[in-house]
Amino acid sequence: MRRVFNTPDFRAGFVEMLPACLGLIPFGLVCGVGAAAAGADLLGALGMSAIIFSGAAQILASQLLAAGAPVAVVILTCAVLGLRFLMYSAAMAPVLRTLSVPWQRAVSFLLTDQAFAASIRKFDAHGDPRAGALHFLGGGMALWGSWQIDNVIGFFAGNVIPSAWSLDFTVPLCFIALLAPTLRGVPPIVAAMTAGVAVLALAGLPMRLNLVVAGILGILAGTAAELLRERWKAR
Amino acid sequence: MEGALKLWVVILAVGAINYASRLSFIAFFARRTMPPLLARALRYVPPAMLMALIVPMVIIPAAGIEAINPRIPAAIIAGAVAWRTRSTLKTMFAGMAALWLLQAFLARLG
Repeated sequence: MRRVFNTPDFRAGFVEMLPACLGLIPFGLVCGVGAAAAGADLLGALGMSAIIFSGAAQILASQLLAAGAPVAVVILTCAVLGLRFLMYSAAMAPVLRTLSVPWQRAVSFLLTDQAFAASIRKFDAHGDPRAGALHFLGGGMALWGSWQIDNVIGFFAGNVIPSAWSLDFTVPLCFIALLAPTLRGVPPIVAAMTAGVAVLALAGLPMRLNLVVAGILGILAGTAAELLRERWKAR
Repeated sequence: MEGALKLWVVILAVGAINYASRLSFIAFFARRTMPPLLARALRYVPPAMLMALIVPMVIIPAAGIEAINPRIPAAIIAGAVAWRTRSTLKTMFAGMAALWLLQAFLARLG
């Protein structure tokens, strides 16, 4: 373990994730508040943040439980929301191929929106999958650790940040910081624009299905744009 | 079902499903070759999913509350800063500063 924590790649990953950890504080607080409102005790609130480890799913589960929804409905709705992890898993698969099974399991546990988007380019840049995995692990652990602290503070202190400060806006800002550098060239822009329009157009779908469907449509549109452009150039 | 039991059933089930989803294709493609077209398509997961996550957070909170949503121009300004700097910290500072200035300006007009 110490051999892992002392590597420069692990440390770099940890330090580079700290700004995002800062930006996710308001989100983590809200999740802790939600768990308390749903009637969870401290252990239950920590169970949500440590085991589910997905802010969107935690908030959704808290809201549904507080509203008295049946357990099966809560589980199914959260599972639908988690379908995007299948896509992250598939996108990470090629860079993790050569790693051992324990490494793959560790990375999988920490695979969140933020960790995935922040690290996927790093893997390509590193060339060495083990260095990439160490980097990912550092960032993932920074996120996981700070997430537990945010949730516990939210659970005890309630919403300490006045909503007039609009600090919830730091969450999309974290994602914007990851999105903008990916928009180089036409196909990624087509993918993003399609997904952005689709997520609004499909907002009426039940169980937040619009998120994953918009993601798939964006991926298809981006791929189609790439293939079309290739054909165009070949002519 | 009693409240605490209900909560723990949800935690363990959703935790297990999330973990299975996260591990799924990493485990599946560990021993198999990925079709080249799928590998190409998966490069669009970050732009597509990030935009799908961002848009509702920027646009929906203001629906029906304010006529002009200052989050949209603030997000665009943050996007420009992110594109140039690739820095999460600078993007957050720029985005929050833009949002607060626009909110103060709109409050004046109010």
